[in-house]
Amino acid sequence: MDRSASFEQELATLLPRLRRFAHTLSRNGADADDLAQATVERALRSRAQWQPGTRLDSWTYRIMRNLWIDTTRSRARKQWLEDPPEAAEHLGEDPREAMDAAMDLKRVMAAMQRLPAEQREVVALVLIEGFGYRETAEMLDLPIGTISSRLVRGRAALLALMGE
Amino acid sequence: MDEEEKFFAWLDGELTADEAKAFEARVAADPDLARRAEQHRLLRARLSQAFDPVARAPVPTRISALVETDSREPIDLAEARQRREAKRRSWGPPQWSAVAATLVIGIALGTMVNRQSEAPVTVEEGKLYAAASLGRELDSELASAPSKASVRIGVTFRDQAGAICRSFNGPQTGGLACRDGVRWQVRGLFPAPAGQGGDYRMAAGSAPELAALIGATISGEPFSAVEEKSAKARGWR
Repeated sequence: MDRSASFEQELATLLPRLRRFAHTLSRNGADADDLAQATVERALRSRAQWQPGTRLDSWTYRIMRNLWIDTTRSRARKQWLEDPPEAAEHLGEDPREAMDAAMDLKRVMAAMQRLPAEQREVVALVLIEGFGYRETAEMLDLPIGTISSRLVRGRAALLALMGE
Repeated sequence: MDEEEKFFAWLDGELTADEAKAFEARVAADPDLARRAEQHRLLRARLSQAFDPVARAPVPTRISALVETDSREPIDLAEARQRREAKRRSWGPPQWSAVAATLVIGIALGTMVNRQSEAPVTVEEGKLYAAASLGRELDSELASAPSKASVRIGVTFRDQAGAICRSFNGPQTGGLACRDGVRWQVRGLFPAPAGQGGDYRMAAGSAPELAALIGATISGEPFSAVEEKSAKARGWR
């Protein structure tokens, strides 16, 4: 198998995880899939920069995280002119929906949105994507101590928001 | 590292074996700390449970098509449904005979390749039903908790008449079956493409024809893991 085919195949196996990571960062499913799509496009264009033998997942996650930061920044600038894009999403009144996995996803996404971006990305990478502290620190170019302290604050906030 | 950070580092398995052992002893001796540990384990589990279904769901075509390394299109229900809406008016006898023709091919393949074992379907009064072992697997298998059964469930949903339908993938054939009384009526059976084992993109179906059939049959959204489970508990009614 040639090098480019293996790159694409490895990227293809990452897609489900990339979509999950996009959902942990984004406001809603549509934004998440836009982010996932932009990430895959960018990864394909930049494939020459990936060093075979290094982890493709960390490399691609980093691309996604940077794109997300860019989007968040440009959106923040625009919000001087626009209304907040989304009031709290309407939750259905059907009690069965409370059980529904999709509804649970919406609730948890809403709670994640309340975290400051710098805590949200660390919580997502460690608690949901399962990266170690060191891997996360390398991906985000941050000292490992910063990862630890953001995790402490992010978790405390989430626990309060999701009120167990 | 302060105490808080150490607590979470322990919870996340980031301490060395010796440090972890020492911390473990502290937690065991401190009910407050033990309770907090439990709270945060639950929080982590809840986050995973909420987001993991995203990673198990079929990847939308607009993303998977970017890295498509073979020619087969992955399944996109929304897209299939849109095509169906567009075609609804023109969906007449010719198309149904095409489905019927596919069924015949499916049966032929199913009975041929399964010569040693039991055929997956039986025909009764002109209707195609899941035979015993396929029927059992349709009754008991959950897409959210696949067992070692030879058939893997793709999606579960209600059709436009309200009957529950499930797509399935076996080693040689995949298809769609819908509840008819206490049995599963097979609406379509298609040869499985080669090399599908373990391919996550096949979660919703095996062949493009199956995706099209699902798109033409489904009403509303596919069941979530929770809905699938409770439908099973109610006997797929």
